[in-house]
Amino acid sequence: MKRPLARAGIVAAFVVLAGIPWIASPSIVQFGINMLLLAALAQGWNIIGGYTGYASFGNSVFYGLGSYGTAIAMLRWHLPFGIGLALGTVIAVIFAALFGRAILRLRGHYFAICTLGLAEVMTAIVSNLEITGRNTGLVLPLLRGDVLFYELSLALVVVATLIVAWIAHSRFGYGLIAIRENEEAAAAMGVDTTRYKVLAFSLSAAISALAGGIHAYWITFIDPVSAFDIGLNVKMIIVTVFGGPGSILGPVLGAFVLSGISEVLSTEISTVAGLFFGAVIVVAVVFMPRGVADLIRRFDKYRWRYFAENVRANRL
Amino acid sequence: MEPVLSVRHLTKRFAGLTALSDVSFDLGRGEILGLIGPNGAGKTTLVNLISGAFRASEGDLRFEGAPIGALPSHRRAKLGIGRTFQIMRPFPGLSVLDNVAVGALFGTGGGHRQLAIARELAHQKLEFVGLAHRADRPAEALGGPDRKRLELAKALAMNPRLLLLDEVMAGLNLAELEAVFAIVRKVRDEGVSVLVIEHVMKAIRSLSDRLLVLHHGEKIAEGKPQQVLSDPTVIEAYLGRRRAAHEGAGT
Amino acid sequence: MDLLWQGLVNGILLGGLYSLMALGLALVWGVLNIVNLAHGAFIMLGGYACYYMFSGLGIDPFIALPVTMAALFVFGYLLQRHLINLVIRAPMFNTLLLTFGIDVVLTYSAQIAFSADFRTINPSYAGAHFTWLGATIPLVRMIACAIAIALTLLLWLFLARTRLGRAIRATAQNLVAARLYGVEPRSIYALTFGIGAALAGGAGALYGVVSQLNPYIGVSLTAKSFVIAIIGGLESPLGVIAGGLILGLVESMTSLYIGATYTDVASFGILVLVLIVRPTGLFGRTT
Ligand SMILES: Nc1ncnc2c1ncn2[C@@H]1O[C@H](COP(=O)(O)OP(=O)(O)O)[C@@H](O)[C@H]1O
Ligand SMILES: [Mg+2]
Repeated sequence: MKRPLARAGIVAAFVVLAGIPWIASPSIVQFGINMLLLAALAQGWNIIGGYTGYASFGNSVFYGLGSYGTAIAMLRWHLPFGIGLALGTVIAVIFAALFGRAILRLRGHYFAICTLGLAEVMTAIVSNLEITGRNTGLVLPLLRGDVLFYELSLALVVVATLIVAWIAHSRFGYGLIAIRENEEAAAAMGVDTTRYKVLAFSLSAAISALAGGIHAYWITFIDPVSAFDIGLNVKMIIVTVFGGPGSILGPVLGAFVLSGISEVLSTEISTVAGLFFGAVIVVAVVFMPRGVADLIRRFDKYRWRYFAENVRANRL
Repeated sequence: MEPVLSVRHLTKRFAGLTALSDVSFDLGRGEILGLIGPNGAGKTTLVNLISGAFRASEGDLRFEGAPIGALPSHRRAKLGIGRTFQIMRPFPGLSVLDNVAVGALFGTGGGHRQLAIARELAHQKLEFVGLAHRADRPAEALGGPDRKRLELAKALAMNPRLLLLDEVMAGLNLAELEAVFAIVRKVRDEGVSVLVIEHVMKAIRSLSDRLLVLHHGEKIAEGKPQQVLSDPTVIEAYLGRRRAAHEGAGT
Repeated sequence: MDLLWQGLVNGILLGGLYSLMALGLALVWGVLNIVNLAHGAFIMLGGYACYYMFSGLGIDPFIALPVTMAALFVFGYLLQRHLINLVIRAPMFNTLLLTFGIDVVLTYSAQIAFSADFRTINPSYAGAHFTWLGATIPLVRMIACAIAIALTLLLWLFLARTRLGRAIRATAQNLVAARLYGVEPRSIYALTFGIGAALAGGAGALYGVVSQLNPYIGVSLTAKSFVIAIIGGLESPLGVIAGGLILGLVESMTSLYIGATYTDVASFGILVLVLIVRPTGLFGRTT
């Protein structure tokens, strides 16, 4: 088996990634932070979307709650960053657990749309509360330390990935996959579907909230529109589905590849970059619907036939 | 001896349709009860009510003496009720082995916590049903008869005390049928009670200790296979169905 | 009281247009089981098509409307046949993502082709209005609403009365059912998608007359169409009319009594409530 080899490769990649901020230029480090946070967010989405099969548009809400929780704790109550981060995460998890019970009964598109609605409503609520600074937002204390934020983001990606790796090989994860594949059958086999879905949603929320808190302190300014941006949630989905939903490394790969592409393109004319990005998504969905992870796994066997096989399997 | 399953006055109404009406019966330990009846008689509905997929409109369900009518599916599975689905529901994205492993990881008493043990057990069940050679294939790649075997293996991996089999034999040839019979008998010999649905009467006659006949949601007969199958009401129900099928073919 | 009356009238005029916007999305969703995230972009394209026929060729927008619809029908038909059909059996995420990608491509293409400036279709009678029972009614809004409702009813008749319409409805229940009507399911899918696009195009033309166009209007129009389809259910165009009117009234009342910035909250708040209380939509079938 090439397992040990793959593992060594991953560890080596991690060491290289961890070393980058000590040698690279500030702009590259900043690009790296964004990329790593996106990878962490995608990994969080992977738990509820990729493993459990529930297309959540609510993860940007958890991200926003994490941002605001951290910011409010630091600004209004003068608590240290770590405690603020923990607080934001706890709030997001409680929110996920409460709403999860109500909305995880919905299936398919209905769940997706309901979380979308929830995101809209949360943005509006936060825009109108005194404690959140209404729609002008909050300014956090400035901490110059891109290297620190980079390493923090990397740590989050690693933790999230380890959690997903554990899920993939645990009883809990098998329960989630069973729910994704067929919820009635899962319940009939003894999976407590409601509890599992709520747990997955909460875990997903925790990771999103941590990313939100780190981002808020790094960027030092948050407002409702950017903190609860549904566009960010769409990005999580794209990156995960591009990389391979329900795989361990797919979301991280997807975040790296797509961040790279859009970074290269945005130095060109931004409209053309956007156009190209859309085209990449279309082509990827048609020819590699199971993402990069699956492509890597099976290209050896199928070669170029891989793409044609995918089209054949999904067309009418 | 106390029955494993006791069903009393069970009724299920869907909007404008009574699928099951006032059905009562008992199922003893290690007994094989055959449930027959024409298409649409309410057999699958009965299984859905016992397994918890549906809630009964009226009536009482007891499993090993305890009322289960209000419990959700997964709690009933934990108590030891395993089922197969007539419309087969493998987890398409998982391998055949992992499909069965889900049964071993959950199922009766909450199953085994360790993935390695569960997969080992799943392998045994696959061997038992004759599907071990397909263990690593994705479940969606299986053909009809193999899917039936997979359904059976998944339910067996739950280590159930009551097994509900919804037409796992439909579409099998004679040799395959005999193989499934042997499996069901072996399971029964281990003390498992079995409710077998089959609407082909010949297939079920030799397997069942007792037969129960449903027609339009009502129990029209119950007893020893020979005696039930010579009951005029039962013959009428089936003849009526055959005539209907004949007319239906013309349209 | 006068204010309330005017608010109701505004809400109904807006709601009529909303129903037409959502109609194509609901139809495609019901039949193909695809939520077309590019639906709003189709509306945007329809608006621009009508705009250029009006400003470039001097064609009256209400005459350009059927031409716009025909053009979008062809566009939708071909898009389904040659692209969307390739992933029609893939999981939900993939179809969502594909239509999202199409949306991105259309939006940026529109930006390159039409620029990001706001455009309005402004015929000579654009400012005309009349008063009815004390409420001011702009003429073009009135016509737009009437056409929207007429098209919705037309679709309803088409689905209920024609052979093709019945085949489409049968396909929504069961893919192979289309064969019973002597039609290939594949053609039904392409036709339905084409009809959905045509309806979006019509809505876009009317939208261009009563409001402003730019390449980015698509996303929020898709979201609104979503909400309407959920409220109205996917069963019948009549449900969609109800959904559109409800959303129009909610938005108009919210902006009247709470504030214009709250219209989205109100509509999405209703959406969440409806979904939690009645997962199949207000007028959907109960199961
Ligand atoms: N979920 C449901 N909703 C409405 N009607 C149902 C449902 N499930 C079954 N039925 C109806 O109940 C009756 C009995 O069906 P079923 O139990 O599947 O019959 P059998 O398994 O004996 O062929 C049928 O008329 C069927 O249409
Ligand atoms: Mg049945």
